Amino acid sequence: MLSIFSPLSMSENLTKLAHKIDFYKDESDEKGKPTSEGEKDEAEEKVLTSFEQPSWVWDSVRNKLKAAFTEMAVLTDVLNIIKEKRYMVADPVSQDQPDNKPSVLLLAKKRGLVSAGSVLISGAERLKRSHSEHSNRAQDDYFIELLKIRQNWRLKKVGASILGDLTYKTAGSRFFQGGTFEVTKIVDDKTDTSTSHSRGSLEVIIPSELEGVAYIQVEVKSVPEMMDLTSVTLKMPAGLGVIRSDAYWQNKLEVAQNVLFCKELFAQLAREAVQIKSSTPHIVVGNQIITNAFPGIQLSIVLCHYTGKEKKIPQAPQKLEHNHVLEHSLHQLLREVHFKNINYVAPHPVNAMLGMSKRRRLAGPQGTSRRELVEMNVRDTLLEQIIKQTKHAVLRLRTMHVLDELALCIQDPQITAHWSCLNSSLECCVRINITAYGYEVVRSSLVLIIEVDTIQAILKDSRTITLSFEDKALQDLILWQISQHHIQVVQQLAKFHAWTVVSTNFNVGVGDIDLYGTAASLMMASPKGDKVLAFRSGAYNKIQMYLKEIDPSEAVDTSPAVTNPKWQKIIGTFQAVDVEKLQGKTFSQKVDMVMAKLTSMS
Amino acid sequence: MGVVCVYFYPVPEGKSGQQVVDGIQKQIELLGAVKTGNFCVDCETFQAGSGIQNTPQRQVNILHSSEQPASCFAILDTGTCLVADALFDGLMQKLKHYYQQRKGSKIESKGQRYEYGDFIFKVGSVSQASNFKGILVEIEYCPCVVAGDCMNLMKEMSQSLLGSAVAEQQSSFLKTKTDMIYTPADTMSQYLEHFNNFKKATSVNQAMNR
Repeated sequence: MLSIFSPLSMSENLTKLAHKIDFYKDESDEKGKPTSEGEKDEAEEKVLTSFEQPSWVWDSVRNKLKAAFTEMAVLTDVLNIIKEKRYMVADPVSQDQPDNKPSVLLLAKKRGLVSAGSVLISGAERLKRSHSEHSNRAQDDYFIELLKIRQNWRLKKVGASILGDLTYKTAGSRFFQGGTFEVTKIVDDKTDTSTSHSRGSLEVIIPSELEGVAYIQVEVKSVPEMMDLTSVTLKMPAGLGVIRSDAYWQNKLEVAQNVLFCKELFAQLAREAVQIKSSTPHIVVGNQIITNAFPGIQLSIVLCHYTGKEKKIPQAPQKLEHNHVLEHSLHQLLREVHFKNINYVAPHPVNAMLGMSKRRRLAGPQGTSRRELVEMNVRDTLLEQIIKQTKHAVLRLRTMHVLDELALCIQDPQITAHWSCLNSSLECCVRINITAYGYEVVRSSLVLIIEVDTIQAILKDSRTITLSFEDKALQDLILWQISQHHIQVVQQLAKFHAWTVVSTNFNVGVGDIDLYGTAASLMMASPKGDKVLAFRSGAYNKIQMYLKEIDPSEAVDTSPAVTNPKWQKIIGTFQAVDVEKLQGKTFSQKVDMVMAKLTSMS
Repeated sequence: MGVVCVYFYPVPEGKSGQQVVDGIQKQIELLGAVKTGNFCVDCETFQAGSGIQNTPQRQVNILHSSEQPASCFAILDTGTCLVADALFDGLMQKLKHYYQQRKGSKIESKGQRYEYGDFIFKVGSVSQASNFKGILVEIEYCPCVVAGDCMNLMKEMSQSLLGSAVAEQQSSFLKTKTDMIYTPADTMSQYLEHFNNFKKATSVNQAMNR
């Protein structure tokens, strides 16, 4: 085969030659200078002039820089031409399209789906397994219940059995009776889903003495006819629901613990009632403690324990009178005893006695006398404390009753009672205000502090009176204060009407003796001096009013020794005024009206 | 706590201490006082060890009183008094290397306690190491807390009971405390004064007898 080569043209020949030039060889190696590709003429020129010796040192550098500049210029020209897109275009290099094999794609997708599916299936399997386990109530249920019971109660393993402790020993109780219960597993042959749900797989066995339900009943009743304790009424424990034998273990244990607590409480009270010598005797009969709080007021504490094994059933369901406040108090007091047994007051020194109060610890450095130390040591027993609380409750109720009755009966001055919010189980406080309707500027007030046995009354002038528990004493006191209040109101009215108060006396020593307290009296004269009013009021007497009118026409023969006409005014007699017949609803209104009528302007 | 005056009752010649005590007790009972028990005030002296020369010997007196059973009184020879809990004795025991107890220095006043209205009488016979030293009569007036206010009343009472010679004694200690509130530490200071007097009297007697 022949191939014809046309002879190279001028530009082709030059190109071939230019290609032979090694552009990257160093200048020092040969005398040829690097040239750009496009500039043929200059390349030739440069090739010809490369044989000349360099005239100065910087010639080569200059030439190199010139070449670099030329190359940069060419590059900018090319880029500009490309930008113009008329003579040159920059096109991306096209690549070969990959072969679209659908089978490969399908395989990849299938593999992906299979792996995702397997993850989901394993998750679903796990869920199904746990759900089936839960509904099947397998062996694990017992352990879950055991875990729960261990979270609430103290259990320990003794041999092959699991025993637990119901007592309050770790909370400070020192009761002799033990409360050990046993935890067993229920083995059901017939797995009936309905019953197994309610029973659970755990069973607790309660000791026999703590079976059943118990509670303490406190009752305060007034027995005025039975002042002595020898004739007391015994109570039968009323029928309360017994706990079901298949109840949940938590309920069973709680009820048994309550039985133990009530037993301890009653045992402590009974022991104190028998041993402690006190002013009032206590009677302990079976499951009852009876004592007299006040003469005629009986306090009875009964331990009702219903085990469900009693043969005798009371015919009629007895209505129980619970004093819930005192029952709750009893529970709290016993818990306090427990607490004090365990928790000692800080500090806990190594070399001194533990448990002393701050006052006792400071007794040494303060040089407390023996008498004070003995007083500090005396502490009330549980029974004494509950009796004190009962007494205070009774006294408080009685006082309320008396005040309410008086407020209803006596309409003339209004009696209002403000009970203080701050009170304790042994002390409370009430302020009584006596005001006249319409004339509230005058207000008599007294404070009653109700304690355990007595009531302290603090009057307006800071006098303190100790009242006994009899309600008549309080009634007398308030009626007496009311009588004093009347006189004070009239005193104020005198100021309003510009009458002069001639005399006031809150402890009148003349006249009929009063049943309680002292009478108060007041005498006042009108502005002109011609009318004189006199009042006398006592606790149980009606208020008396007298009037003396001086008629100026009645001129008495005056001797020349009498120089001042005022001496005319002391003559005259008093006449009684019937207060009932006066106009006006209340006493103060009546007096107001009388004074207005009697004041003459002339 | 009332105001207390401690009087030294001299034993006249020819009579034994027991006789004098009985006499005073009979007089108190004649007044109408009620016997309420015994009392005891005792004092121990501790001396700081003379490890360092040229420093004066420091003495600490530890007093106990049955009237304040929970307390322990520590009085320095400078007069400073500390009222502490009864466990203070234990502390002194721990310090026994520094504070040594002087042998035979324990002195106490023991006797009967009588209550008469607002007054409390204590007749005590003082003894050191079972040697009888003297008689101290203590009169307390409970309602008052300031010494200066009831001095005259106290003088009157002691005059009727012990005679004017004894009643005229007045503790130098009390003179400085007439306007301040009276504390049990002041009672102990009075007792200490009397105990020191007894000790000085003994040493003077011993010196004279030689």
